[in-house]
Amino acid sequence: MMRVLNICLIGALVLAAADVYTIKFESARQAQHVAKLRLEIRRERDAVAALRAEWAKLDNPARIQALTRRHLQLRAADARQIDPLDNLPERPPDRVPVEEADPIGTVIVNPELLDHSPTGSVHGPTR
Amino acid sequence: MHAPAADPAAPAREPWRRRLVGSLLYGSNVDRVAKTRARILLAVLIFALGYAVIATRLVMFATAPEGHGSRRAIAQDAVATARPDILDRNGEILATDVRTPSLFGEPHRIIDVDEASELLTAVMPEIDAAELRGRLGSKRRFVWLKREITSQQREQIHRLGIPGIGFLPENKRVYPNGAEVSHLIGHVNIDNQGTAGIEKWLDARGLADLHLAGLATDRLQKPVELAVDLRVQHALHDELIAARAKFKAIAAAGLLTDVRTGEVVAMVSVPDYDPNNPREALDPTRINRLTTGVFEMGSTFKALTVAMALDSGKITLKSAFDASHPLQYGKFTIHDFHAQNRVLTVPEIFTYSSNIGTARMALSLGIEHHKWFLRKMGQLERLRTELPESAEPLVPKRWAELNTVTIAFGHGLSVAPLQAVAAIGALMNGGRLIPPTFLKRSEADALAHATQVVKPETSEKMRYLMRLNVEKGTATKADVKGYYVGGKTGTSDKVIGGRYSKTKVLTSFTAVLPADQPRYLLLIMLDEPQATPDTHGFTTSGWNAVPVGGAVIGRIAPLLGLEPRFDLPPSDKLILASAGGR
Repeated sequence: MMRVLNICLIGALVLAAADVYTIKFESARQAQHVAKLRLEIRRERDAVAALRAEWAKLDNPARIQALTRRHLQLRAADARQIDPLDNLPERPPDRVPVEEADPIGTVIVNPELLDHSPTGSVHGPTR
Repeated sequence: MHAPAADPAAPAREPWRRRLVGSLLYGSNVDRVAKTRARILLAVLIFALGYAVIATRLVMFATAPEGHGSRRAIAQDAVATARPDILDRNGEILATDVRTPSLFGEPHRIIDVDEASELLTAVMPEIDAAELRGRLGSKRRFVWLKREITSQQREQIHRLGIPGIGFLPENKRVYPNGAEVSHLIGHVNIDNQGTAGIEKWLDARGLADLHLAGLATDRLQKPVELAVDLRVQHALHDELIAARAKFKAIAAAGLLTDVRTGEVVAMVSVPDYDPNNPREALDPTRINRLTTGVFEMGSTFKALTVAMALDSGKITLKSAFDASHPLQYGKFTIHDFHAQNRVLTVPEIFTYSSNIGTARMALSLGIEHHKWFLRKMGQLERLRTELPESAEPLVPKRWAELNTVTIAFGHGLSVAPLQAVAAIGALMNGGRLIPPTFLKRSEADALAHATQVVKPETSEKMRYLMRLNVEKGTATKADVKGYYVGGKTGTSDKVIGGRYSKTKVLTSFTAVLPADQPRYLLLIMLDEPQATPDTHGFTTSGWNAVPVGGAVIGRIAPLLGLEPRFDLPPSDKLILASAGGR
């Protein structure tokens, strides 16, 4: 009786030891994986930081200004070129009826329908 | 012999030989069973203790990280630690960390010092061979060989396979915008410790302690958001550099603050330096003139004098002062630059920038009142901000009537320009003096820090005067259409060798925009501007600082989201009428 119990216990012990070993092994593997991922995250973050720094350098207003001066004919915006939406005039009545199937063709056929009203800045110089 | 056998429990059953041995060894009357138990217990205890020690050590080994950390620990201490990013108010990067490898050596592990240093100098010719040999041959456990090497160099040195040589990734501070924000954010030393500006403030705020605890090695710290707007900062920087070149000035400085929150939206002082090359900052001509320098602000200070007069209630906009003769004071005579030689009203005194008028105004209120008011406006004490660099105002030791006379028009009291701007901001925003800040701040938060220094009506009258001065005073060249600019000019003679110079001046222009609903206050300062053909030989503020201010306003107003408004009535209709006809 006692002997059977002992054998059972020894068997259970061996099984438990084997189980603990596998758990331990698995956890070590997982820990390694976590460490690897952490390192990767860190590297990625460093790379992102380096790229962001480079972007900030390229995006620097002084650099953009120098490039604009060299390559574009843009001028600084003037206060007269800014107007609030409230000052937008009412939409003019449609010259070509909306239901017309071919609006462009209608305008070409009847040139008097063309809109000749000027656009541009409020009191801006005429070019 | 047979009689005891009747008792079955007695130990008499033992063979006689054993009994004999037992009685010889222990004596006849000892309870050997109890004794044996005690001994077994002792043995059990000793073994249990032994196993417990083994078990705890096992647990310690299992939980503690890799044992061979001694080398890393030494190295880690020396690594430049991470700093939080610094962002502008729109989230643009002003300062960030980039990882770069650094080369170190552990002299006790190096086998052949000569060979190692020869191989290393072959890869890095810029390194000093003798110094390298000295370092590798030293008795220390850890030496830096070269900080911040390139990744190609790292690769080549790695291939050499020299024992006792290693790399550590270090955080290197990078300032992508270069000189543009230099005075604001300051810079760091090679160990990534802040030595000036906001960087130093970050360290003082507890980052240094984090470094010591070794906790600040990763970039997981919350970025610091400043109040500065990089676009506005650039525009101001660009215009000031152009102005400095045009007027051949020693220096130019500009400051833009939000009058409702006290935030510094832009601050430029040229000549400045590149924080990526901090050695330039040591040059004394490159100091930040707005916080570290003190200046006699000249006529700009008249705004404070007039506000004091109006706020006292004894003087109104209709009051008049005699400016028909120069003011004689002992051996000093006070003249007016734009002399009218008649009795002037308060608005006239302000727009003609009359020294005599403001001096008489201050005298009529008395020295003590003058001192009390300037103290209340924070002009007599050092202004503390986040920036560690600050300057104490130069206040006269004995304050006599002559001092009140000269300080009334901005001579004889030197303050940091930022300090003066904070006070004028209070005169514009409804009378609340808000301590300026370089960090992002909400209006509610600013209100909690603010103190009411003048009445809201006084502030309205001051804005009227500022606007009037642009409409028909000394600052007409800054009237940028659409933004309803108000402003006060200032030209002060510089003190050269203890005497006021006749030719060398410091000009300034303080502008509020828009004058009817104040949002921003701009200060432009030029140090010793020269006359150009355009200025007809003049060096006063109206010919240099004011047009520069106008150019800056025209450029930054759209960036600040100020809506241009045209066809606004003149200031006496718009500002004074809204104040209820006062």
